[in-house]
Amino acid sequence: MALKKLLQQIVLILFLSLIIGLGINFSLIKKYFQGDFQFGFISLEKYDSITFITLGEAEGLFSEGEALFIDSRPKEAFQTGHILGAVNIPFEEYKEEEALDMIFLPPERIVVVYCDGSECNSSLELAKVLHQKGLIDIKIFFGGWIEWTREGLPVSPENDPQ
Amino acid sequence: MTRNKYILFTFRLVVGGMFIWAGVSKIIDPLGFAQNIANYRVFPEGISFFLALALPWIEVICGVFLILGIFRSASALLLSGFLAVFLVLSIVTILRGIDIDCGCFGSLSGKVDYKLILMDSVLLFFSLNIYFSRKAVRIKF
Repeated sequence: MALKKLLQQIVLILFLSLIIGLGINFSLIKKYFQGDFQFGFISLEKYDSITFITLGEAEGLFSEGEALFIDSRPKEAFQTGHILGAVNIPFEEYKEEEALDMIFLPPERIVVVYCDGSECNSSLELAKVLHQKGLIDIKIFFGGWIEWTREGLPVSPENDPQ
Repeated sequence: MTRNKYILFTFRLVVGGMFIWAGVSKIIDPLGFAQNIANYRVFPEGISFFLALALPWIEVICGVFLILGIFRSASALLLSGFLAVFLVLSIVTILRGIDIDCGCFGSLSGKVDYKLILMDSVLLFFSLNIYFSRKAVRIKF
């Protein structure tokens, strides 16, 4: 009998939490089903300077040469190989404040942030920091290093992309 | 296991207070917490999202109930379950070599490390103590 009562109370707490949690976040749920978070859980209204780009778009920006490619992977991974011309801001190795301090970029500079691929998250976190720094055109290349090398696009060092 | 009502009440305040704080810090940034869950690379994206919406409210409600003495056993059992899952997740994350923020306290979260495992273990001990002492004298508001 005590066990039944305990289970009833647990179910009640869970039910209450679910109703409140889903009810309060109804607008987010709507956005989720509209596909707004397919690249990551980020509010694109709050971070309005951030857009997600495909491999083709990243390649286009690379060819034009106007965008700065930023590699947010750890230093060792960057040294092993990175997109040609990219700079390294190893986000995971720095606290947010330190990452902020080491970035000096004009606000209008177009940047493309990438990490390993869709499994990694540091490009998204770094993009948020760049947004706070006032940059107005931040692009996240979610396919990242994996997609770039799979297509055999220019890397550095040239002879050892892995 | 202690049955001293003052010690038990302190345990309730500590565990309840921690979970209220943890829950509120996630409620104010549900997307940030969803990303934190996704970073563990254990759950699919959809599950991470809906967990992020419901989980903080379970934490807050259980925390408040625990302190007020409402559904005390059920709240303590649920929170013990959470702490046990967090503990296993933290250990697995460290063993897998994934370097991430725990997501435990929203944007104020620290890294998943041994300190976190120690804190989880202590809270689990407190929480189980509250659950197993349910027949002891209660302090209720």
